Amino acid sequence: MLKFNKIYKEYDTPILGPLSLDIKKNSFVSILGSSGAGKSTLLRLASDLIKPTSGKVEYLNNEKPNIGFVFQDPTLLPWRSVIDNVLLPAELTSKNKKISKEKAYFWLSRVGLKGKENSLPNQLSGGQKMRVSIARAMIQDCSLLLMDEPFAALDEVSRNKLEDDLLDIWEKNNLTILFVTHSVTEAVYLAERVLVISSSPGKILDDVIIIKKKLRDDGQPSSEFFSKINYLSDILKKENKE
Amino acid sequence: MIKRYLSFLAPIITFLLLLCAWELIVNFQNIPKYILPAPTDIFASFLLNYSDLLRSTFITFRITFFAFMIASLLAIFIAILFSQSKIIELSLYPIAVIFQVTPVVAIAPLILIWVGLDNAEYAILILAVIVAFFPVLANANLGIRSVEKNLSELFSLYEANRFQRLFKLQLPYALPFILTGMKTSIGLALIGSVVAEFVAGSGTSTGLAWRIIEAGNRLDVPKLFASLILLVLLGVILFLIMSLLEKILLKRWDLSKS
Repeated sequence: MLKFNKIYKEYDTPILGPLSLDIKKNSFVSILGSSGAGKSTLLRLASDLIKPTSGKVEYLNNEKPNIGFVFQDPTLLPWRSVIDNVLLPAELTSKNKKISKEKAYFWLSRVGLKGKENSLPNQLSGGQKMRVSIARAMIQDCSLLLMDEPFAALDEVSRNKLEDDLLDIWEKNNLTILFVTHSVTEAVYLAERVLVISSSPGKILDDVIIIKKKLRDDGQPSSEFFSKINYLSDILKKENKE
Repeated sequence: MIKRYLSFLAPIITFLLLLCAWELIVNFQNIPKYILPAPTDIFASFLLNYSDLLRSTFITFRITFFAFMIASLLAIFIAILFSQSKIIELSLYPIAVIFQVTPVVAIAPLILIWVGLDNAEYAILILAVIVAFFPVLANANLGIRSVEKNLSELFSLYEANRFQRLFKLQLPYALPFILTGMKTSIGLALIGSVVAEFVAGSGTSTGLAWRIIEAGNRLDVPKLFASLILLVLLGVILFLIMSLLEKILLKRWDLSKS
């Protein structure tokens, strides 16, 4: 789906790389690392919002896919209603209005915001705003969804609910997701693969495969779940000490 | 409920009490009218001259309104130009600052000479525009530049063109800033038109400023006060209209919570 080929990025100081990485189609990859590790930079490189100083980002069949981006803040336009916020990407890319509207209603209903279409962003809770942001990212039938610590500012209950909804959306929509997070538990719970990134400059410290089936035992988190969390936490602790 | 009425009534009662105190002091102290007229004298003078005074109020309002509109539209247009090209901003911003820091009284004679004393009203309009222009420009410019980085990136992600970015993001985002600038600007437009009329002088234009000069020269202090009160009322009404407009237009905006 996406290949980082010897990517290196610097502003005044080196931020990221050199780094090579292959993201498989329909995979869910979490990127874990401390602040300043260049995780957000990696997403911006993946979306072509910024260019690497050297190296190359390659897409499958050399064709840039439809990309959805969910930022840490919901980044909604406060003067637009919920439905108009979701329709924004379709408006900017001049898509058919009627079809886009149907899709917007579908996605709002899918993220549990049916009936809130005409509300304004400031009438919604933090979790609801993030759901609008996800619906907006999905309206363009994106195949690559980039998420930059989207649930970091939410309370535990909203966060857990959104994580489950996101997993459901991923499973049913042929999506490739790159999910940046600070939370080890969140990374292990959501992803099939967790990349741990070192800080300044960001390099891949470890690439951990998660076998989702092994994470639960009779509906409860299994010992495998906790051992992965401990393993990844140890890497991060060691990295922070250094 | 009582608190709500009180917040409305308290300033009115205070104002009426002050008027009563003023009236009593002037009458008991026998202060001459040409020094400090009593409120009743001012009101009587207003009734006597209401036709002239209201006509002058309208003239001052007309100049202020047009100056405010021209200044606002011009400032927003220039702020848009600034947002489209750094070179235009670097070239024009210093000129805008020069206009802002030059006292209007100092350039008024020059503008009057250029426009001609026969067209004093145009000269006053130009001077009021110069005074009212900068706050809108500075605020519009700041608003357009304050667009959140993530929102800007969102528009880049969907390859928005300049017009889409301007009309769907930058201008709506800057609206609260622009309206703040306009609220300052409307007061300045009034000040500008009064100061310019003072400088133009000698009855070439007959706005409220001229009525104040005329009444002062004749020591008709009650009429001077009546003109002054109309000027204050005009300023307050214009400010309230702008505040109401801001409230209506910004009903949807709450940048801090989105």
